[in-house]
Amino acid sequence: MRVLVIEDELRLAENIATALREGPGFAVDHAADGETGLHLARNLCYDLIVLDLMLPKLDGRGILKSIRARKDLTPVLVLTAVSETSSTISLLNAGADDYLSKPFDLGELLARVKALIRRGKGVAHPTLQAGDLTLNTLEQTVHLGDKAVTLSPMEYRILEYLMHRPRVIVSKQELLEHLYDYNWEHHSNVIEVHVSNLRRKIGSSSNEPGPSSPAIETLRNRGYRLLLERAVEAVSSEV
Amino acid sequence: MKSYSITRRLIMTVLLVELASALCVTAVAYLYERHDHFRSFDVLLRGRADSLLGSVQEAADGHDGLMLDGSEVDVDDDDLYEVRDDGNRVLGRSAHTPDLAASFHPEDDRPPMVDSDGDQASFGKLKVGDKSFRVIRVLGIRIIDPGHKDGGVRRNVTAYYAASTRPVWRAIQKAVSFYAYSSLIVLAVTGLLMAWLLNRGLAPLRELASGAARISATSWTFLPPEAARNTQELAPLVVALESVLQGLQHSFEQQRRFVGDAAHELKTNVAVLKSSLQLLSMKPRTSAEYQQGLERTLADCHRMEETVAQMLMLARIEETGAKLSSGASTDLVAYLRSVVIELETMSEAETIPIYLEGHGSLIAAIEPEQFQLLCVNLLINALQHSPAGSLVIVSIAERDGAAEIRFQDQGEGIDPADIPHVFERFSRSDPSRSRKTGGTGLGLAICKAIVDSVHGSIVIDSQINEGTTVAVRIPLSQPSEPRPATARI
Repeated sequence: MRVLVIEDELRLAENIATALREGPGFAVDHAADGETGLHLARNLCYDLIVLDLMLPKLDGRGILKSIRARKDLTPVLVLTAVSETSSTISLLNAGADDYLSKPFDLGELLARVKALIRRGKGVAHPTLQAGDLTLNTLEQTVHLGDKAVTLSPMEYRILEYLMHRPRVIVSKQELLEHLYDYNWEHHSNVIEVHVSNLRRKIGSSSNEPGPSSPAIETLRNRGYRLLLERAVEAVSSEV
Repeated sequence: MKSYSITRRLIMTVLLVELASALCVTAVAYLYERHDHFRSFDVLLRGRADSLLGSVQEAADGHDGLMLDGSEVDVDDDDLYEVRDDGNRVLGRSAHTPDLAASFHPEDDRPPMVDSDGDQASFGKLKVGDKSFRVIRVLGIRIIDPGHKDGGVRRNVTAYYAASTRPVWRAIQKAVSFYAYSSLIVLAVTGLLMAWLLNRGLAPLRELASGAARISATSWTFLPPEAARNTQELAPLVVALESVLQGLQHSFEQQRRFVGDAAHELKTNVAVLKSSLQLLSMKPRTSAEYQQGLERTLADCHRMEETVAQMLMLARIEETGAKLSSGASTDLVAYLRSVVIELETMSEAETIPIYLEGHGSLIAAIEPEQFQLLCVNLLINALQHSPAGSLVIVSIAERDGAAEIRFQDQGEGIDPADIPHVFERFSRSDPSRSRKTGGTGLGLAICKAIVDSVHGSIVIDSQINEGTTVAVRIPLSQPSEPRPATARI
């Protein structure tokens, strides 16, 4: 997951970014003023935008309106130092999904960020399920049946992203965009390496009776798709 | 304090004036009526006395005596009379009559009236019991036997006639009380009429008051009623109210914005601190990481402290600014030079030399600490926004009775769109706010407050990538001899 933090108070932005990277392990980009923020948001590669209201050059409300005017549905969490109800109402009406008033609790910020991302992808519960594969986004653990699966952070992120969008073709480009921020050196082939490792770790041999596991299907030049086992069987029977 | 009503006072004044004039009218009426009635009374008395004299006849005794023919005497029942001849013999008198001749004292101020017959009449007063009488004495001559050859005998006869004055006084009282009562009625009607008219006439004032009463700290809309604006006496009040309200609203909103901005700023600072600490406690860390985290948190605290200090400074300057007298006299050139020397270390460290072009001495009524603060703020700004190796030129010169101090740098400049906002408090475009300086966004607001407090001016002119010039004008308290001098620091 990749989050954009638009906040002109640099120390606060630093803290939020560090917390998002260390906690849920998201990729984070930061914009220190409104114009840069809007420019970055136009890339549509974010799963969430954390937006401060009082910004130089272009204020938060302006950014919010501009984002929503372009039918961009990215969830927006607004940080505000104004705690008046009327302001909150007008913010939510302008298209914000949630708000936190400063000074906020960092733990609450993380929880809200995760909830908004989940909701934005049509998932209600922090524990994701695909066949017998269980992914707990809070503990960042993966279980295949009763057995814990140990994944590297990047493998976990790829799996988390795919499990948020089951049965949807996710391009390599999309994975790159949503899992790495601008500070990361990244090449498209690292994704392939991670995916193949991931397949090996969660894949169960079809001969053995055991927990059924989803498969990560590779579609040439198009991307990856998370398939439940039944679907995999159907595909293999066709071949 | 006793409440004071214009309406009541006006009504009381008018009624008092009316009452005074009513009293005057009544007094004049009394005097006139008394005079008038007594004159007719005197005429009446005279008539009665004459007819009494007419009733004096020759006595039938043939001794040239006189007698009063009682049958011909025509008197009112209450009246008294007495007729005497020249021998002071009583010819006749009414019943129960005291000795009128003895008790008669003519009024001194009036000479006796003499009529065509030669009869003399004079008036006097008499009191019988509790009754007051007016007495007339007529000295007449009766000629006995006028047909006689020697022309008859002339006999002097004195007639006294007294009538009670009570009916006269009663008539006077009646006439006077008519005037008095009419005046009282007029007084009452006027009072009521005035109360009603004043009530109507003061309606615009009441409307104005109710309009003004609707103003509160949260709602500043003041719509003066048209009636009040069109009233000549109220128009200045309406205008004054409007301008006062406008000024108040302006400063109130400024204060509110300041408080809001300050709250926002402090909340942000607290948010930084809180998140720094929570980040540190999110997971176990090495002691080096804790060390680093604590240092950063301490730096955040320091910044917060700075913000609070600057806010207090700004509030203090604005508070003292209003009551600053011309008591202070500061040599601007000397203080500017001391500031430049103070910042020499910083200037050398950044390899940005400062040139000072100064003139002799310029004295202005500004607190030295505030002037120093102004110069330090502007000079540090210039240094912080200049690339290494560029030049900062500071000049001070007299122009049109004011000291003009210019801080000129060759730095990155300010976006023209931001220039109108740089002096606003916590302005996001205040160059002192940028990351490089870690400023609070109050630096230029403080500068402006200082300059405003001495009725000076501060202007920023900037070109992107060419540099910024801040020109400060401070009115001088006395003319000075310019002595050109250039100093290289």
